Amino acid sequence: MTAFAFIAATVFGTVARDTAKDRVLYGLKVFAEFMVIGLALGWVLYFLPF
Amino acid sequence: MTQNEIGPGIQAWIMGTAGWIIPGAGHMLQGKWLRGIILGAAVWICFVAGLSMGGHLFSVSGGDTSLSTLLQVPPTIANLGSGILYLVCWFLGFGFADDPTHAALATYEYGNTFLLIAGLLNYLAMLDAFDISAGRKP
Repeated sequence: MTAFAFIAATVFGTVARDTAKDRVLYGLKVFAEFMVIGLALGWVLYFLPF
Repeated sequence: MTQNEIGPGIQAWIMGTAGWIIPGAGHMLQGKWLRGIILGAAVWICFVAGLSMGGHLFSVSGGDTSLSTLLQVPPTIANLGSGILYLVCWFLGFGFADDPTHAALATYEYGNTFLLIAGLLNYLAMLDAFDISAGRKP
């Protein structure tokens, strides 16, 4: 999941913004979102019995 | 009449096609070396990681007309986004095995996902190269 988040965030950050600083910040934001949402969903699904 | 009114030129289509065939090439041909290397490396690493995890590539065979063939179309389109990486595997017949031995691998579905994402990310990179060449992006 971390590798997937890193690769996807790298591409998203590279194509989505205009300045280098914005790209890095956006990439970090996307990476954090992938990780947090992935972990949160993992715990939610863990408690579902079906 | 501006560039946007007459539409993108032939060069934009060439850059987009180059970016699709060889991940990262669309940017490198326009002198965006760092961006091309980053995008190309991301796609290549994703694709190789997917194959090494035991994932398999999708293809649509013309002989079968059942509903299951239709379900193969979306992942095939996603896989095709990898450009030459997919085409080389297709020519060599490598990575298309979908037998129980492969499916039993713990990383099988992860590999499939990585292979799909490699193609989809390259579509994004390809469109970015197209937009840069068309003057829509810096």
